[in-house]
Amino acid sequence: MVEPAYTVTSDSETTGEEKSSTFPEIAIGIDIGTSQCSVAVWNGSQVELLKNTRNQKIMKSYVTFKDNIPSGGVSSQLSHEDEMLSGATIFNMKRLIGRVDTDPVVHACKNLPFLVQTLDIGVRPFIAALVNNMWRSTTPEEVLAIFLVELRAMAEAQLKRRIRNVVLTVPVSFSRFQLTRIERACAMAGLHVLRLMPEPTAVALLYGQQQQQTSHENMGSGTEKIALIFSMGAGYCDVAVTATAGGVSQIKALAGSTIGGEDLLQNMMHHLLPNSENLFKNHGVKEIKQMGLLRVATQDAIRQLSSQTIVQVDVDLGDGLKICKAVNREEFEEVNRKVFEKCESLIIQCLQDAKVEVEEVNDVIIVGGCSYIPRVKNLVTNVCKGKELYKGMNPLEAAVCGAAVEGAIASGVNDPFGNLDLLTIQATPLAIGIRADGNKFVPVIPRDTTMPARKELVFTTTHDNQTEALILVYEGEGEKAEENHLLGYFKIMGIPAAPKGVPEINVCMDIDAANVLRVLAGVVMPGSRQPAIPVMEVRMPTVDDGHGWCAEALNRTYGATLDLVTLQKKA
Amino acid sequence: MDALTLSSSVNISKPFHILALSKKQQRERHPRTQFGVSCRGRKELGGGVEDNLYKVLSLSPKSATTDDIKKAYRSMALRYHPDVCQDCSKKEESTRMFVQLNAAYQTLSNPRLRAEYDCELGLRSEKISVGDETWRYIWQNQLAELKRRSHIRMAQNQGSWGSRIRPQNIN
Repeated sequence: MVEPAYTVTSDSETTGEEKSSTFPEIAIGIDIGTSQCSVAVWNGSQVELLKNTRNQKIMKSYVTFKDNIPSGGVSSQLSHEDEMLSGATIFNMKRLIGRVDTDPVVHACKNLPFLVQTLDIGVRPFIAALVNNMWRSTTPEEVLAIFLVELRAMAEAQLKRRIRNVVLTVPVSFSRFQLTRIERACAMAGLHVLRLMPEPTAVALLYGQQQQQTSHENMGSGTEKIALIFSMGAGYCDVAVTATAGGVSQIKALAGSTIGGEDLLQNMMHHLLPNSENLFKNHGVKEIKQMGLLRVATQDAIRQLSSQTIVQVDVDLGDGLKICKAVNREEFEEVNRKVFEKCESLIIQCLQDAKVEVEEVNDVIIVGGCSYIPRVKNLVTNVCKGKELYKGMNPLEAAVCGAAVEGAIASGVNDPFGNLDLLTIQATPLAIGIRADGNKFVPVIPRDTTMPARKELVFTTTHDNQTEALILVYEGEGEKAEENHLLGYFKIMGIPAAPKGVPEINVCMDIDAANVLRVLAGVVMPGSRQPAIPVMEVRMPTVDDGHGWCAEALNRTYGATLDLVTLQKKA
Repeated sequence: MDALTLSSSVNISKPFHILALSKKQQRERHPRTQFGVSCRGRKELGGGVEDNLYKVLSLSPKSATTDDIKKAYRSMALRYHPDVCQDCSKKEESTRMFVQLNAAYQTLSNPRLRAEYDCELGLRSEKISVGDETWRYIWQNQLAELKRRSHIRMAQNQGSWGSRIRPQNIN
C-alpha cells in the first residue's frame, strides 16, 4: 500500500463556515466509534451507508503499524482477531484523544496490548505500537488521521467525487479541547469539519425525519413528541431528551459520561484474572500475548451472555496460567453494577434537566453497541416505567445516518419531497464560564443552552485601583474553577483606576451554529456610554497540551491579584 | 462594537410584520399594544422601545396559548436558524435573529416568566395584591439588591453618613 497522503497542517484550521459555491458539495456523515465506525451520505432521496472493498458497512476502528506501513480497519483485514491484540495495532483512539496522563481513562488503557505510559503530571500520555520488536511512538490524533484518510479514500471511490466536508459524531462528554483534537485529526486527513454533532443529537435528527415522513403519510399535524435517546457504545454513554414536531427537533437536555462497553470488558477481565494488572505490567511479548488471549475470551463471553444466561470461559494463557470458569449473567451484572448505576443516573439527570416527567416521554430510543446487553435494555425500560422501546432504528447505524442528514442540511441541499425540511436545535452539553468570586466557576452560558447562543454577565474589580483583570475561561459543571476544563485565558488591561466595585467589566460569550466559541470582554465606567478600552475578542479554546499545568501556573503566578467578582446588575 | 451592551440589537419587527398570520390571529390582533407603567423601569440604551417578545414570535399577547407559542417558535426556527439559511451572506444576521427568537421563547414558554413579562407590558389588569408570589419575588430581589449595595458603600466609606457626622457633632 502506498504511504498515506496526510499532511500536518496548522492548528488554526478548525471548524467554520466555508465560502459558498454554486453547486454545494454534500458533506458525508462519519461515525467513528471507539470500536466500530461507519460512513453515510445523502444520495438525493435517502441516506446510504458506504461499504468498503469487502462489502462491509460497519468496520473496526483501529490502525495497525505492522510491516512499518500503517493501515486502518477500513481497507486491511487482520488474519486473526488475535492479531489486533499483538501490540502492533492501536485502537480505542477515541478514548485516548485529547486526554492528559492523570486521566483515569488513560490509566485504564494501560491494560491494552499497545503501549501507554504516563508520568502522572498532567501531560499527554506516551503511546507506541510494537513494530518488528521495536516500540514506535504515535499519537491518538495521528492514528485517527490515518484512519480518516482511508475512510476518505473509500468514500471517494464509492461516490466518484472529491470528499472534503464531513459531519462527525462525537460523545456528549467531549470537552472543547477534545473537539479541537478531532478537528486537527480531520485536517491532517484533508477533511474539513462542517459540524461536530453529539451522538444523541444525530439520532434525534434521524428521529425527526422519521416523524416528518410519518406525518406526511398520515396527513397529520405537527404534534409534539418527546423522545428519550440513550446511546451507549464501547467508550461513551450519552443521553438526550428532545421535543420534535413539524421537522424541528429541540434538544432539551444532554448528559454524557465516559463509560461504555470497554469498562464492562475491563471489569470482567479483572474478575476472571484478579492479578492481571501486576502480571501484565512489564508489557513484554509474552505478557502482550496473554493480554490478548484474555481479552478475546472475555469479549466472547460478554457477547454470548446477551443471548444466553451462562457461559463457559476456557483459556490457556501459557506458563501454567489457565482460566476455567463458568460465568452467568447475574455475575456479569454484579461485577459491573457501578457502570449500570451510572447509566441510570445519567438518564434521571437528563430528564430532570429537561424538566420532563417520565410519563411525558413518547418514545424511548436505545442505540449503540451496548444496546444489545439485556441489563442495559432493562435499566432504560425501568427508568421509563416499562415503556416499550422504539423500533424504527438500527442501533448501529442511527448516529451515522443522522450525521449524513445533517451533512446534507448544512451543505444547503434542497429536497423537493421535503425530506430535508428538518432542523435540529442543538444545546450546549456543558456550561461555559469564567473564574470569579474567589476561585468559583461562574457560568455565563449554562448547560443545555440552545445554540447558537449569546449571553453576557457583568463583573467588577476586587481591589481599589485595580487596572488589570485575568479572564480564565472554563468549561464543565464543577463549582470550583479548577474542577473544570480550562479553555483559555486573556488579560484585560487599562481598566481606569477607581475604587473596587465601580468599573463594569462585561464578559460576553458567543457560540455560533458551528459550535465556535468566542469570548468578548469590555470595560465600561458607570455613567459613561463609551467603552473605556477597546473590546477584546478571543476565539477559544486557546490552551493546548498540558492544560492542567497551565491552570496551576496561572494560579501560582497571579493568585487573587487580578480577580473579578460578579456584579448583580439591575435593568 | 458598542461595549455598553455587547449584544447587537437588530430591529426584527419589519420582516416579521410581512409574515401572514392565521385568520384567527389577524382578527384578534390589537391595533396597538398597550404599555402600562412597569414596576421596574427599563432604560433602553440604544433608544427606541424594546421589541415586544410577542412580536418576535408573531403572536397576539392575549390569546396566545402554550401550544401557539411552541408552534410559532418552531415555524420561526425553520426560517431563521443558520443551519437552514440558504444565503450564506445572511448567516450572521440569521444567527442574531435566532438568538433573539430563543430569548423570546425562553421567557414566553415559562409560565412564571411570562406572567412577569405580561405584567410589565400592562396586559394584566388585576391589581397586584400583597399575597401575589410574583410581586413578592420581585420585591425580595429589589430589597436584596439594596442591601448589597448598602454593604458595599459601608465597606467603602467606613460607615454611613450618619456614623461619620455623629463624632463631629460631639466635638
